[in-house]
Order: sequence, then structure tokens, then C-alpha cells
Amino acid sequence: MPRDLTRIASPDKPETERNWWVHVILLAVCVIAMLPVVWMVMTAFMPRDVAKAVPPQWLFPPTLDAFRMLIFEQGMLGFLKNSLIVSVSSTLLSVTIGMFCAYALARFEFAGKEDVSFWILTNRMMPAVAVILPMFLIFKTLNLLDTYVGLILLYTAMQLPFVVWMLKGYFEDIPRQLEEIALVDGDTWFGAFRRVVLPLMTPAITATAIFVLILSWNEYAFALFLSGSATKTLPPAVVIFAVNAEVSWDVLGAACLIITAPIMIFVIAVQKQFIRGLSMGMVR
Amino acid sequence: MAEIRVERLHRSFGEFVAVGDLSFNIGDGEFVFFLGPSGCGKTTTLRMIAGLLMPTSGRIELGGRNVTFLKPRHRNVGMVFQSNVLYHHLSVYENLAYPLKVRGWSATEIRRKVQDVAALLQITDTLHRGTESLSGGQAQRVAIGRMLVRDADVFLMDEPISHLDAKLRAHMRAELRHLQKELGRTTVFVSHDQLEAMSMADRIAVMNDGALQQFAPPQEVFDRPANVFVAGFVGEPQMNILDVDIREGVAHAPGFRCDLPPGWLARNGIAPGAYRLGVRPEHVEIAEAPGHLAARLEVTEPMGAENLLTFSLAGQDFKLRQPTGLCDRFRPGDMVPLLPRPDHLYLFDRVSGCTLAQAAFTDRSRT
Repeated sequence: MPRDLTRIASPDKPETERNWWVHVILLAVCVIAMLPVVWMVMTAFMPRDVAKAVPPQWLFPPTLDAFRMLIFEQGMLGFLKNSLIVSVSSTLLSVTIGMFCAYALARFEFAGKEDVSFWILTNRMMPAVAVILPMFLIFKTLNLLDTYVGLILLYTAMQLPFVVWMLKGYFEDIPRQLEEIALVDGDTWFGAFRRVVLPLMTPAITATAIFVLILSWNEYAFALFLSGSATKTLPPAVVIFAVNAEVSWDVLGAACLIITAPIMIFVIAVQKQFIRGLSMGMVR
Repeated sequence: MAEIRVERLHRSFGEFVAVGDLSFNIGDGEFVFFLGPSGCGKTTTLRMIAGLLMPTSGRIELGGRNVTFLKPRHRNVGMVFQSNVLYHHLSVYENLAYPLKVRGWSATEIRRKVQDVAALLQITDTLHRGTESLSGGQAQRVAIGRMLVRDADVFLMDEPISHLDAKLRAHMRAELRHLQKELGRTTVFVSHDQLEAMSMADRIAVMNDGALQQFAPPQEVFDRPANVFVAGFVGEPQMNILDVDIREGVAHAPGFRCDLPPGWLARNGIAPGAYRLGVRPEHVEIAEAPGHLAARLEVTEPMGAENLLTFSLAGQDFKLRQPTGLCDRFRPGDMVPLLPRPDHLYLFDRVSGCTLAQAAFTDRSRT
């Protein structure tokens, strides 16, 4: 016998939502996700013997020994500088170049447009290990090993597909008519691009740049092989001085904090633009 | 100030001919409508005049200057689209200043000119607002203002008011017409709405399939359509058109018989044979006594002062529009005696669709 869903009449007021369990799940997810981060921050301030202790100790006198060691003995700030130079430059380059590529793909019709778009995407699909050896040989031949230029070029090339695909969608959302009225209003093509399209794209470009900056900042595999003493960035640097005969957890924790803190502070600072950029075109 | 001359303009997209061999002249200060169904080439033509689309061949002159293949910025035309009328990242003031800024005017000159135009269009109090706070009508004013600040020779409008709600649209129709007359700029307006065209235009260019069907003042397009397409497209509801055979001064179709004025046939040199007969719904009357034409009423649509009655006749719809008092006694299914007014009949060629005989009343008004 089929159920009759129309038997009951409406109650006097709307039912109250009973969804407390959603909050429980959210809380659980937050705790699980945050715990390792909290633990990492805590280890950074632990004295060495506490950091090694089993079972772990939650209470300890905080110390800056690990940071002192990293900054004054290991020259951590030098690696931080390398990371900054490489990721900021490659972000600027890839976003600038990618912006024009994406605009061309979004606006103009040309033979093989779909193929070009797809080819750009497939570049991104390739696993890093597949190209590390050839890249190493190329860099060696071109004398790019252990240079800023080499790393910046490589990261720019790596991030370009991502930039192009992300911005292409946003460019397509900007009505072409706005450029057309600008042209009729007397502007040149580039003027219309600069004065009309770019201002409207600012949130999207900002969001893309932030994404790319994080990706470049965190890049490990290529940096490990292609950088040297002069240009080593933070991620490969951490390994060499934190993992020797035994893992010094306090140093590792402090190093991780030094890597993540700048990017976290940065993202918190720009999160408004970031979210605005990501949600652009979705809310109208 | 400029007249527009278009000669043998042609544009195709691959195999598809969007505009074929189009020639016309638009006088200085004239308000001209391109009217036609979607895909008839009206917007393509407008975009070619604006310079946003290059013609395949032909020639366009603005104010005596050949601009056929010039970029938009060398033409001094202004354009308003249906949507995305304004730069939404700029304020109203910046929107109005944009065309001057790209021409390198100084800030003080820009301010003076923008103030003048804003005063003329009565939008001074909106100048420092963002564009999102403007009503549809205000946005259109600002868009017109952007054409005015730089003294555009020709205003081009691509269905600028067709997305507004009915009441505002009626208001904007009157306002645009008034503004156009006041400013005296040559204006080309693209529309698929024949009511808009009838109420605003000095002349209407009716287009279909990339070709100009008729280019004449609204009343003439309505009263003396050049062919069966214009007759059917202009007028709401559209003209009734029946395939008929004419024998001995009478038009015959299955279930249809209509005496034709003998003088009218002779004057237009109509020989017996196969034709298409047209009569507008408002020119069909309900006969006092049952004559030799009766049709079954299918649907009644009350429109307030008038009713629109749809009959089925000779296997197609046949409409009648009459004041409510004359026709509200009929119910669907009734057989109603009908009488097309003999001096409001049109005859078209079966094959080419050309008008062979204009309605007799138009002959009278001409002489």
C-alpha cells in the first residue's frame, strides 16, 4: 500500500529545526583538523627533552631555543628570503602572463582554441617526479641550477596552466559589451582592457595570485633537486637541518611554524579579497 | 551632426549571409528604427555602423566621410546596449567622464562638460552614486549622457529598453522620443517591438533575412506595406492573410467568400487568378445579417475596451478585433457572420509576396 503524504494538516507554526548534530560534527571536524597544527605550534616552543618524551607532555616551560638555533646557527632567514624572492616573482610573472593568455582564450576565436586550452590543462596533470630528471639535465645544460632565475622560470611555467584556467572562467563572465561600449566611447583595445576589464577582474586576479603564491611557497620536489646552497627555499631546507641521525621535533616544529606563519598571516590579512574573488560570478 | 549613407553593405559569417546587399540613407537628425524578427540582420547592421563588426563588402559613410573599415573610436558614434549599459565598477560621474578621459581632456574641462550634460538630462543628483543604485530609466539616461558629453554624431541603440518592465518602457518611449527631438541627433534604434517603432520612429526600416523590406514613415509602413512580410510583421495582432482565388470579382477560399470592390481590382490591374488576401483584425466587422461568410469562434481574449476573437477559417486562424460591446455576446463554438471591410483589403502575390494592391482607403488619402 503506497503511503499517503497528504493526510496531515499544517501545524500552527513552523517546525523548529533540530539540527544540533550538525554543530557536533562541525566541531569534531575542526578539532581533528586543528589538533596537528596546535601540536606543531606547541612542539616549536618545547625544550628538546619534552619534545621527545613519550607519552607526550601537554604542560612544559616554553622556550625559544629551537628558534634561536634555526635563525642564528642555521641561517633560516636566508632560506626565508629565498622563498620570498622565488614565490613572489613567479607569482607576479605567472599571473601577468596568464592573464593575457586567459583573456585571449576567453575572447577570441581561433583555430585549435579548444586543443590549446586542453593542452594547457594537461601540463598541469603531469606528476612532478616524471619530469624532475629531465628538468635537472636541462637546468644543468643551461647553467640554471641553483639560481633564482631557474626556479622562478620553473615555477612560473608550473603555475601558468592553473592561472590560465582559473582566469579564463572569470574573463568569460565579464560581458563583452562593456569592452564594446568602451571601444565606441573612443578607447583603444588595450585601453578598454586596462580601464574596464582589469578593474572588474581585480578580485579574481587577487584570488588567483594568492592561490599561486601558496602553491609556489609550498613547492618541495623541484626545489629539493634544482636549488642549491645559494637559493634553497624553506621546504627543502627544513628537511636537511631537522632530520639528521634522529628527528629533532622541536626544531622541526619551529621550522614548520616559520614556513606556515607568513602565509597564514598573509591569507588572514587578505581573506576578504580572496573570498570575494572566489565567489565572483557566482552571486549576481 | 551627420547623415548615414550605407551602400551595398554585405556581411556573411561563413555560409550564412547575415546582411546582404543593403543600401539606404538616413538624414541628419532623423530617428530611424531597424525593425525585424531575431536574426534578420538588424543588429549586425548596427554593429557595422558602430565599427564593432567589419563588413564583408560595401561602404558606410557618416557625415560624408567614408568610415567603412575604421575602428569604432575614429567614427564618433555612440552606442547603448540592451544590458550592460554602464561600466559598473565606476560611479555615474566616472561613467560620463570616461569618453573624455580617453580623449585626454583635462580634469576641469571634464567636470564642466559632465555637469552640463548631467543638468540637461536631470541626473545631477545621481552623479556621485554607484551605478547599481540607478533605476533602469536613470541608467539609460546616463548611457545617453555618455554619448552626449563627447558630441557623438550618431546615436546607435540596440534594444535599449526592451528589458524594462512594461510601465517604465512606455515612459521611456515617450522620453527617448522627446530627448531625440530636443537633441536633434541622428539616431538608429534596433528593435523587434513594432509598437516601439510605430510610436517613436520618423522612419522604420523593416528587415528580414538580411534584406531591407521597406523603409518608410510608420504610418505608411502600416497602411501601405510593401510586401506580405511587412504586412504581417507590423500590426498587433497581425494581419489575417488567406490564400484565395479571384474569379469574377470575388475572392474564394475553402469556407470563405468575399466580394471585392470592382473599381479597386481594375485600378490595380488585378486579373483573375491565385493571390493572397490580407485584412487587419480591426477591419473585420461582425455582419448585421447572415451573409455568405460565417466562421466558428474558437477563442475570445478580452482586452478591456476591445475584444480579440479568433475564428477558424479555411484551416487557419482568422482574427477580429472590435469594441467589447459589439462582440461580447458570442461564445466559443458560435458561427459568427463576418464582413471584411472592402476598402481595407490588401492583395499580395502568391509567390513573391509583393503587394499587388494596397487597401483602397489609402488610395483615397493619397489623391
